Amino acid sequence: MPSNKYFCIVRSESGSCEAPSPAQMEAMYAKFNAWKDTFKDNIVDMGGKLAAGGKVVTADSVSDGPFVEIKEIVGGYMIIAADSMAQAIEIVQASPGVGGVGSNVEIREISNA
Amino acid sequence: MTNSVVEHFFRHEYGKLVAVLSRKVGVQHLALVEDAVQLALLSGVESWARKGQPENPSAWLYRAAHNQLVSELRQRQNRERILAVQGPAFEEACEGEEALLADDFSDDMLRMLFVCCDDGIPHQSQLILALKILCGFSIQEIALRLFLTEANVYKRYSRAKNIVQAAPDLLAKDFDETFLRQIPSVHKVLYLLFTEGFLSSRGEYSVRQELCDDAVRLTLILANHRYGQVPETFALLALMYLHLARMASRQNDDGSLLLLHDQDRSLWSATHIQQGLHWLERSAEGGVFSRYHAEAGIAGEHCMAPSFRETRWDNIVSCYEVIEAVSPSPLHRLNRAVAIAELEGPESGLKLLQGYSTPAWLQDSFHWNATLADLHYRAGNTVLATRYRESALKAAPNAAQKALMLSRWRMLDEPNCEP
Repeated sequence: MPSNKYFCIVRSESGSCEAPSPAQMEAMYAKFNAWKDTFKDNIVDMGGKLAAGGKVVTADSVSDGPFVEIKEIVGGYMIIAADSMAQAIEIVQASPGVGGVGSNVEIREISNA
Repeated sequence: MTNSVVEHFFRHEYGKLVAVLSRKVGVQHLALVEDAVQLALLSGVESWARKGQPENPSAWLYRAAHNQLVSELRQRQNRERILAVQGPAFEEACEGEEALLADDFSDDMLRMLFVCCDDGIPHQSQLILALKILCGFSIQEIALRLFLTEANVYKRYSRAKNIVQAAPDLLAKDFDETFLRQIPSVHKVLYLLFTEGFLSSRGEYSVRQELCDDAVRLTLILANHRYGQVPETFALLALMYLHLARMASRQNDDGSLLLLHDQDRSLWSATHIQQGLHWLERSAEGGVFSRYHAEAGIAGEHCMAPSFRETRWDNIVSCYEVIEAVSPSPLHRLNRAVAIAELEGPESGLKLLQGYSTPAWLQDSFHWNATLADLHYRAGNTVLATRYRESALKAAPNAAQKALMLSRWRMLDEPNCEP
């Protein structure tokens, strides 16, 4: 397994995507499985989808989150392993998850220090 | 554990789940059911992609759609009323239901097919409704397949759905003889579904094949049900299989079309021919001879003929006579003329069309002009043949048809290649 780990934050524009048809879902599913297969050594944690809503907590307050004023909403995350940022980019770009209109993935190396 | 599903799994599950759940909560909630099934499929894809596919994906989807639907129904304003009427039985029904599901769904799908073919809905909209809720195509995909605009498909679908939702007893009533009255409409929609795939000169091969396969799938459900077992159903299945048998050989490797005359008969599917002949045999029990019988008969003759020349054109001519008698149409007359020309010579074919009042749409059509060009050419009327060829080229619906004609004429005009 490659030494570096990367935290991937999946964002999408709110309300931007049209619901896929069953046939499109099937294609998505096949692509995703193929991707998982290709990069099985690089996927540390498939992560998950983040549910809508949430709380924002500080030392002395609790408010409703997430920050809806930002146009892009964090919708999911995963952790991958790669030798370099370049390879991490390559892996993420090959994933069917980044293909959607108005969606993007932010990649951050998890610091070992 | 393998992470894969059979082809069209999601689309077929959609149709199955919409039918099963609509039956349970009543078809007046069709829109809610469709939304719940859509969400269940989507959460299935997302969850399975991450965590792996469950052992029984169908049961997983059923549970997800069921739960989604229950919580949605609960949230509705009029939830007291719904739960009072449908609730208890429905909610209790979820546990252990999966085991029953396999046997249950074909009955529910058949009911839904009858609902789609309700007399109050125009034929084209019946087809759209069936494609949407039983075949699991989206509005956009239907528009693409029927060569209609998305707005048009959406409008027809919404109207049809409203009609269905306004008549909630449609799904609830027991299967009885009253369903028999509606069977001709069901046949017609299945036939339309098949011919959209088979006859269309437009669209990609794989897409058209998919429509044909879905037509067969739904017709088989009808043929396996007590009330669907009428000769016309069997004839319809026979004609579907006998056409499908030859579908792959209808085009060249480059996608261009091939005339029956030039097709490689060794490419015809023996399995499909066998299935077709099996259903053709069953369709003969019962003393009915419908238009589907005649069309299946024609397809059967072509399948069984060792070569174009050795085709039993006499049988084909009689079948066309039946079709024309049952459903008079200038197109059927034209087909009959082609068959007679093969049987007795081009002059006989031309004679059948002489004095026949041809409507303007046909006179300007590609089919009419190409056929007459051919018959006149073979009868030695070169001047007339040339004139019809020019009109045919002008009316050709697409490049493939045009190329088909040009290559045929090149072959005819080249004496060494005389077929």
